[in-house]
Formats: sequence, structure tokens, C-alpha cells
Amino acid sequence: MDITFIKRFAFTSIGRKVIMAVSGLLLGGFMLVHLAENLLLFKGEALYNAWVDFLISNPVTPFLEIALAVIFVTHIITGVWVRIEDFINAPGGYEVRKWQGGRTIGSATMLYTAAAILAYLAYHLLTFRFVDHSMGFYQMVTSAFRMPVFVAVYVAGSVALALHLSHGMQSAFQTLGLNHPKYTPPIKILGLLTAAAMTGFALISVYYLLGIDLKTAQSGCEMVVIQ
Amino acid sequence: MNEQGNFSVTVRVWRQAGPEEPGKMVSYPVRDVSPDMSFLEMLDILNDNLLKTGEQPITFESDCREGICGSCGLVVNGDVHGPDEHSTVCQLHMRRFKNGDVITVEPWRVKTFPVLKDLAVDRSALDRLIAAGGFISTDTGAAQDANSVAVEKDDAEEAMDAAACIGCGACVVACPNGAAMLFTGAKVSHLALLPQGGPQRTQRALGMVAAMDREGFGNCSNEYECEAVCPKDVKAANIARLNREFLLANLTAKR
Repeated sequence: MDITFIKRFAFTSIGRKVIMAVSGLLLGGFMLVHLAENLLLFKGEALYNAWVDFLISNPVTPFLEIALAVIFVTHIITGVWVRIEDFINAPGGYEVRKWQGGRTIGSATMLYTAAAILAYLAYHLLTFRFVDHSMGFYQMVTSAFRMPVFVAVYVAGSVALALHLSHGMQSAFQTLGLNHPKYTPPIKILGLLTAAAMTGFALISVYYLLGIDLKTAQSGCEMVVIQ
Repeated sequence: MNEQGNFSVTVRVWRQAGPEEPGKMVSYPVRDVSPDMSFLEMLDILNDNLLKTGEQPITFESDCREGICGSCGLVVNGDVHGPDEHSTVCQLHMRRFKNGDVITVEPWRVKTFPVLKDLAVDRSALDRLIAAGGFISTDTGAAQDANSVAVEKDDAEEAMDAAACIGCGACVVACPNGAAMLFTGAKVSHLALLPQGGPQRTQRALGMVAAMDREGFGNCSNEYECEAVCPKDVKAANIARLNREFLLANLTAKR
């Protein structure tokens, strides 16, 4: 088998960026599914735990976890590679230099938000993935969400994620060559909506920190009494 | 329109005697500047003054001075090609400035365009990109009848928009990463959209991208600073087309 074309692809600037774009879109898709799962917390302990049991008892799940890790590492490797090259090639040494309007906060901070997301992920895995799950997943998550330090990390991490995706989503489509007056405007809007959705992770944790679930449960009881 | 009379400015300009020499910013006063002068004419007057005092004139590039040749290119007060949108620096006029202004003038500063002298840089890296595929090969002899090659109207328009690129290199300079994607995208696009570009389409995409990497241009981070400064308003959609052409070429190349 001739694999020159694969080498040629991975070792060119555009090829590497395509790999980064595809892995980024897959990760973005995963984050949306993850957010949908987190919303199950609102459906109560029984349903949430049943869903987590369904996930971890499925024999495919370990393979999906490995695939996700591979996608993540691929995204990091290609991203760091691209940034190192850009750092070497970047124009510099001006006395006065202005940006002309193309850059956004999201695009200019991609490297920093990436580092923040990595730290967020490490914290998330250390506190939820590689711990004792005997108290039940719902209890584990909601009790963590009642700790201010934990929620602070979540809010910061989610904002970093939102900023990263605010540039990353539209950028990925451009790298894949998908740019057209017909569908680029909706792609940009959907990208921003996906980015905004990432703050959902923070909002859910804040919801439990403020104890809104307890208050709702209480008022629910009162209503029962009144009836 | 600025109705002011002639005025004076101070020009802070990069002076560098040669490619290997260290450079520095030097300030020169320029008096009796007419608001109707172009920015380069103001530099001409400054050079006349320097010659009279026996000092080396400031080296800068220009040719047509009507915004179509791509020779000029300066960073004026931090703006690539000056403060006007989609304009070359030769089309910048002194009416954009006022009496007493200090104007900072710097050369393109990116590793792929090394400074030769003062404000003149070596942009031959762009020529080598063209040599790597930005052309078509055709038989010599009598030209065939123009009507025998049909070009769809929208494609012709889009090819023309991409072909408007004058190769000034502003996109490379404006890019946070020093990438040449807008330049290469424009060249690949204008030939990909026309039937004449068809036969060498695959080699062109592969060859030009390989040349970009060889020359040390950066990676595109899709921030569109290039599009914002391009004097010919070449769109970043051409970069997407370059990405498409490269992907397709990788999938379909015989070798």
C-alpha cells in the first residue's frame, strides 16, 4: 500500500489543519451530547442514575472512551504543532501595530482558552471519572455542585470553552473548504449558538450551588399541602 | 475633505543600510506638505531634502502609483497599507493627516519577506509560490477562437475577483501567523474557476501548498485579518476554495 498521500497530507499546513478541524468538530458534537446528558439531572436522581448505568454497562462504552481520548489528543497535538509554527513565523517587531478588525476575542485567545479547557478537563476527570462512585452518580454530581470552589472552576472552564468554540466552530468549516454565501452565515450563527450553549455547564452547576433545586422541591411540597 | 493649507509633519521611519545591518527608527521633519499629495509623494519630498543634506535617501518600493501593480507596501502608524480600507499605500493621501502629526512608517516585518534596505523588502517568496503552480501551460501558435471555450458568467466574475490580487503581500503581513493563504487562495481560485486551469489543477494545489510550507509561511487561523487589509478586497472564501482544492487533489492525485 502506498501511504505517501497520508504522509503528504498530515505533514502539510492545510492537512494538519483539516485533522485539527475534524477532531474539533467531533469534540464540539460530543460537548453538545454531554450537555444534553447533564440536563437529565433536572429529571431527578432515579432517571439520571439509570442513564449513567445504561452508559457504563454498555460494552461499547470503553471503546468510545478510548476513541474520544484519541480524538482529544489528536486535536491537542495538531493544535500545538500549528501554534508552534505560527509562533516562529508570526510577523513581529513593529513599533506600532494595529489589528484591522478580523480578529475576535475568541480567535486571539485560542491558545489560552485551550490551556484552560485542558486544565478544566483534568479537574473534571479527577473529580468525577477517577473517583469512588459508590454514593451514586446523581449524589456525586449534585454534592460537588454545592461547593463554591468546584463551581468556580466549572464557570471559568465553561467560559473558556465558549470562547474557544466561538472561533473554533466557524473556523473548522472554513478549513474544510465549506464557505459559501448560502450557508456560511447560518454556520457562523450555529457556531456561536453552540459556543453559547457551553455556558450551560456553568449554569447547571450554579443552579445547584444556589440550591434552586431544594427551593423548588420545598415549594412543591407546600403546594401539595395546600392541595 | 480636509480644507487645510500646507502643513508640517514628522516622519518616524525605519532606516536599515542593508539586509544584515541593524536598523533603527529615525525622525525627520517634513515641511510644506500639501493635503493633495500622496503619501509616497511626501516621502519623495523627504528624500529630496535628504539628498540636499547629503544623507542617503529612504529606499521604498513603488511603480504604478495608481494601486494596481502591488509594488508599494508600508505599515503606516501600525496599519498595513495605511489607514484607508482596501487601498494600497500609494493611494493614501496626506489629507488623512494634520499639522504636527508624527507618522510612524515601518517596512513589512515578516520572516518570509526579509528587509533589504530601509522600507524595501524581498518578496520573492511569492514569486516562488507562483513558480510552484500558479500558471497554466498552453501550446504556442495561433490563439483559438475565444468563443470555443465557454466560461459560465458567475465563474468568470469570481475568477476575475480572485485575479484582482496584485501580489503586494499585505495579506501575509496582516496575518497574525504570517500565512500566505489569501495570496495562494486567490491564485488557485482564479485558475480553478476557468477551464484553462483544469489540466494542472491537482499539481497546482499540491505544488503551491508544498511551496508555502517550504518557504516558511505560517498556518491560517481563519481570523480574516488578510481580507480586512487586502487592497483588492480578495475574499477569504478563496482560502476555503484552496482548502477544497488541496483536499480534492490529495484524494485524486495519481501519485
